[in-house]
Amino acid sequence: MSKSMSAVKQAIPAEIGGETDIVMGSSGAAPQVAAGRKVLPIVEGVVLVAALAAPLVLQDYLTVFATRVVILALFALSFDLVWGYAGIMSFGQALFFGSAGYGVALLARDLDITDIFLVLPAGTLIGLTFALLLGGFLLLGRHPSSVIFVSLGTLTGSYAADRLARGWYYLGGQNGIPSISSMTLGGYEFSEGPGFYYLVLGILIVVYLLCRFLVRSQFGLALAGLRENEQRIAFFGYKAQHLKAIIFAIGGAIAGLAGSLYAFHEGFVWPNMVGVVVSTQVVLYVLFGGSGTLIGAVIGTVIVEGVSFWLSDNYRDIWPIILGLLLLLVILFRPLGLISFVLGERERVGSFGARIKGK
Amino acid sequence: MANAFVAAFEILSFGAIIVLIVLGLGIIASMMGIFNFAQGEFVLLGAYITYLAYAKGLPIWAGMVAAPFVVGALGFVLEALIIRRFYAAPIVAMLGTYALGLIIRESVRGLIGGFYLTVPEPIGGSIDIGTMHISAWRFTIIVITLLVMAGCYLLLSRTSFGLRMRATLENPSLARASGISTPLMYGATFAFGSALAGLAGALIVPVFSLYADLGIRFLIQGFVAVMVGGVGSFIGPVAGAGVIGTLSAALPWIMAPVVADVLVFVLAIAFIKFRPQGLIAGKGV
Repeated sequence: MSKSMSAVKQAIPAEIGGETDIVMGSSGAAPQVAAGRKVLPIVEGVVLVAALAAPLVLQDYLTVFATRVVILALFALSFDLVWGYAGIMSFGQALFFGSAGYGVALLARDLDITDIFLVLPAGTLIGLTFALLLGGFLLLGRHPSSVIFVSLGTLTGSYAADRLARGWYYLGGQNGIPSISSMTLGGYEFSEGPGFYYLVLGILIVVYLLCRFLVRSQFGLALAGLRENEQRIAFFGYKAQHLKAIIFAIGGAIAGLAGSLYAFHEGFVWPNMVGVVVSTQVVLYVLFGGSGTLIGAVIGTVIVEGVSFWLSDNYRDIWPIILGLLLLLVILFRPLGLISFVLGERERVGSFGARIKGK
Repeated sequence: MANAFVAAFEILSFGAIIVLIVLGLGIIASMMGIFNFAQGEFVLLGAYITYLAYAKGLPIWAGMVAAPFVVGALGFVLEALIIRRFYAAPIVAMLGTYALGLIIRESVRGLIGGFYLTVPEPIGGSIDIGTMHISAWRFTIIVITLLVMAGCYLLLSRTSFGLRMRATLENPSLARASGISTPLMYGATFAFGSALAGLAGALIVPVFSLYADLGIRFLIQGFVAVMVGGVGSFIGPVAGAGVIGTLSAALPWIMAPVVADVLVFVLAIAFIKFRPQGLIAGKGV
């Protein structure tokens, strides 16, 4: 059945998030794909259990590290929404992450506001506002913007923000804003450790479930349709540009939430947080894990951050080179990320690939 | 008066440097539809080769001449091995070349560390016009930029190589049917663009010193310049680079540098939004 095996190969898109070469009704494709259908909930369950158990088995300093990873996973989720589902290459996602971080840092520094019920909504709102402004400008308008223009536009936005943060004395310039006071809930102060870990894990789970609901709704399916073929979705009467602007804004809000958590967890914010470095970092996470599956973004963050943490002591100099090589290999040979080793193409929401007889 | 002249010269020489860097980027973007994120690292390599020649005791000129050839050859090999797989999808090309750039940049960082290594100007001193002094090397850069621009223009518009290149750009299948080896043309175009980046790096290293982030520093400026100028022609990116380079050198003279920096990007993005075809639209030379 070598012919059917090639059909399976073709069902994996030749490019990330682009046109999918779908092979309908090839019954021979069943084994791989059929197995894949039940894998996603299992993967999600395993990740959840591991995440819940982590502080119990990890040493304290590793719990602190794990907290950071969970926050970054939340950030990766925001990028996966706009890229993996709607096919918008947001190369400047750190703009929303970092500006929210700076925003809550200023709230804490200048107004002494650290209440969790004030700072987290504020950070989310900052991310949302910036994403609405930038997304509205780039995505809406009489002529739909090209994918390249949107990606370079977001990249430039993030780069400009980086330069602004570096040069603006009020924002601390090169050094950023150090020693931000802890986030508070009534009289309780969130300091590094299991408390903070479970807080961000709880937030991640809630946001993950919301995203999961969103992408499996009619709205999410329309988004996936956009990713696969924008024109076709437009012909069906959807306002493609509006859908894109909405998901871009939602992504910005989640990035803002992650950014404000990050600022309080690290205790400081610095220009890189809004700039190109962090923007491309989040692209790495999602590409590694696998775009368009939500859980892939989380797994990618854990792998990239975990391995770089592991290697940074002994191989600090060559780790970025290895990272580049791995990224190149993933792009060339596994465009759907590492998760595609266990997950069938069909489980990416919206891609109804090879159909399976009798299922 | 003298100050204004020196200021104008500074602005012009910075514009020339941006043009030099953007030339290769623009040719690859226009001819192949690929925004090459590794272009900054080709600039870095050109600078590094020049530094190596200097450090080994060879004349700096030797390094500067070798740089475009070595980087061009590397570009040819990379195109055949990797870049070729990306043509179908511009976004994948962006990510793939980004990964490539990351590998090159971090390798160079591993070799030179976090230092700023300096290379002396091959033509030192200054040119004195009355009471004004302008840097001889920056003046040379302007002259070389003009020569390179003219050379590229002639190559693309007057030679059979340029004709085949443009034919491949206009209609690849027709070009193939006419007996042009399109894969070879793509390889040659990419190699040519890389060589220009290598040359740019070699020429600017005496001005900016050698450090690992040398290339990436100009990359976003380069992309913006290409978009402002318009993809699809040779003249467009050059014009865009002139405008962006001049603006980002001129505005800091009249306002706070931070504000000027951000303003250039905001203006550029707004311009591209409302005139997506760029300053100069069209295909061809």
